[in-house]
Amino acid sequence: MKKSIILALKDLMILSRDKFSLFWVLCFPALFALFWGVIFSTGSKGPSGMKIAVVNEDQSEFSKLYISRLESYEALDLTSLSRDEAIDQVRTGKQVAAVCIKQGFGDGFEAIFDSNNPRLEVAVDPARHMESGYLQGLLAKAQFEALGKKFQDRDWMRNQVNLWRRDIEEADDLTAKQVETLLSFFDSYDMLLQDVNETDYMAGLEGGMLNFATLDVRRESKGPTSSFQITFPQAIIWGLLACSATFAISIVSERKVGTFQRLLVAPLSRANILAGKAMACFLACIAVICIQTAGAKFIFGMPINKPMFFVPAAACAILCFVGLMMIVSTMSRTEQGAAGLAWALFMIMAMLGGGMLPLIAMPQWLRSISHISPIKWSILAMEGAIWRNFTLTEMFAPCSVLLAIGTVSFLLGVMILRRVEQ
Amino acid sequence: MIEVQNLRKSFGTVVALDGVSFEVNHGETFGLLGPNGAGKTTAINILCGLLRPDQGTVSLDGKTDPTVPEVRLSLGVVPQTLALYEELSARENLRFFGRIYGLSGRKLKERVRNCLEIAGLTQRSRERVSKYSGGMKRRLNMVCSLLHEPPLLLLDEPTVGVDPQSRNLIFETIEAMKKQGRTIIYTTHYMEEAQRLCDRVAILDHGRILDMDSVENLIVKHGGPSHIEAEFEERPPNPDRIRQFIEDKNMRFEETKIRFKTNRPMESLAMLNRSGLRFRSLKVQTANLEDVFLNLTGRRLRDE
Repeated sequence: MKKSIILALKDLMILSRDKFSLFWVLCFPALFALFWGVIFSTGSKGPSGMKIAVVNEDQSEFSKLYISRLESYEALDLTSLSRDEAIDQVRTGKQVAAVCIKQGFGDGFEAIFDSNNPRLEVAVDPARHMESGYLQGLLAKAQFEALGKKFQDRDWMRNQVNLWRRDIEEADDLTAKQVETLLSFFDSYDMLLQDVNETDYMAGLEGGMLNFATLDVRRESKGPTSSFQITFPQAIIWGLLACSATFAISIVSERKVGTFQRLLVAPLSRANILAGKAMACFLACIAVICIQTAGAKFIFGMPINKPMFFVPAAACAILCFVGLMMIVSTMSRTEQGAAGLAWALFMIMAMLGGGMLPLIAMPQWLRSISHISPIKWSILAMEGAIWRNFTLTEMFAPCSVLLAIGTVSFLLGVMILRRVEQ
Repeated sequence: MIEVQNLRKSFGTVVALDGVSFEVNHGETFGLLGPNGAGKTTAINILCGLLRPDQGTVSLDGKTDPTVPEVRLSLGVVPQTLALYEELSARENLRFFGRIYGLSGRKLKERVRNCLEIAGLTQRSRERVSKYSGGMKRRLNMVCSLLHEPPLLLLDEPTVGVDPQSRNLIFETIEAMKKQGRTIIYTTHYMEEAQRLCDRVAILDHGRILDMDSVENLIVKHGGPSHIEAEFEERPPNPDRIRQFIEDKNMRFEETKIRFKTNRPMESLAMLNRSGLRFRSLKVQTANLEDVFLNLTGRRLRDE
């Protein structure tokens, strides 16, 4: 064990002096996480409001009240424009719709509900039909809310009552009995508006308005809460790949240069030598994970939902890549060949396994293929601890697959290496 | 004592060693002389346990398995390739290999300092090996195997591609090891090295030992006659008298000069001296291992 540690420390010292390898092991993964993390976070602030152009040709108190109600909706993003500008922007796709408030909109109930001469015009982008219905609902809601505000203005209401009484008196299609009943109702209502004190009136209105209580429901979170929760597991994988490739190449290099043979004639067992290499790779991987995770947590505030699960997940991923390192080291006799092969193999694994495109962004068929890549299982294990909130049982599957791949690769690598050396 | 019996090793269809046997006594420097591809490195690799022979046995002080740690501790192997970590300094390389051989603390420090001195690298011991010249690397490559003071040294062509200065330093180091009573097996295809360093030499070609003896005996047996060219102060008055005791029938007289070949150069010269003629100049070209190899194989050592 002591000799394996001496061998491992030597390898780590060599790694620390190889600037090129250090870049791939530490800098590239951090840049990868940062780059994609920032891009994803920019695009994940949530949907912005529906862009609506408003044309206020009425300029009445009621139309202004109506627009203020529309502005209070988060679902809408209003811009005041002239009629021509508004229509033009809808035509060019810059606005989803244009709402034109025509003159006379604030002239009272008749103007609002006059179906023969609508005072509200809506032009919707033909490509945005789905939003059209939603917009109409919001426009109606705002209209009722504006009217509700008007109901609180007693003078305005009494004026409206007088207008309605006049209309009833002039109506030809009502019987005398109906006219009498309706006028009696409006007389009583006018008296109420005249006599009732302010407090009772407002209290009565509030009780009578359409009110509902808002329940505070927190949606169950099944996705990552930060884009770095997706990009940092990927970055860690790139660091592990770089470690694995670097140490695989170092074994090939030692065999080629002759230092491996020199170690073989020293009082060391072959197991000592290979354990030293594996330990060096393992320690380098741990350093990569610690640095990346610390950076993600303390600089970018990435939450790890289950830190106790993250440790075994990372350990299994490391063991898998140590095993892969061993088998890759047997695939070529030259450093160039080993480097080319290692990165070609790892690139394919990364493409299929979610090292480049996040697993959650993959189409279903690619997710099915990704099962063959150890990178998929590594990311899944780490994501399970970071944001997928895996249970112990759920963690078992990816960790077992990683350990199995690591063990088989390592043993196969040792066997091939032994045969090649003889 | 090292005993090698009937070693055979093939790589596919290529026979590297074909029934090689030899013995090396304690304190002896034994040379394996042969051209490239003769099987020298294969023999060394089998001796140190890097390769398993297809047939035959190796015994190092009675122990037949060179892979046993105890045996490996007694071996110092200087590989033909520069087996060094170029990213580390000479000092770091030596420290690492010292620790691998179980050295530590003051002993390790002392041995590292000593080896740096032997290699002439004390002044540049903290520089990375990648910045060294070929000769410096070769010297370091050798002393890395001397750190643990092994009683048996296996040197596989330790002077390949080095400058004369480094070569001399390596020779001096090996001669110092000889004086300390170390047993050395030295492979080379430079006959001068074998002649200078080795007590006995085995001529190896195509995986077979053609002959094995001291350098002098090999030359006597296979080197052929020495070439003598003498110039006298005056023309010999009676050349026939000289012909009587010089065996070479092709002996040539050119005025005051005489040229001939002989297997007994010292006796021939003594007789010429007794003839009363006074020498103006004398040139004696004796046979060497190159001639031995040429006569044994019909090829020169560095033909291939």
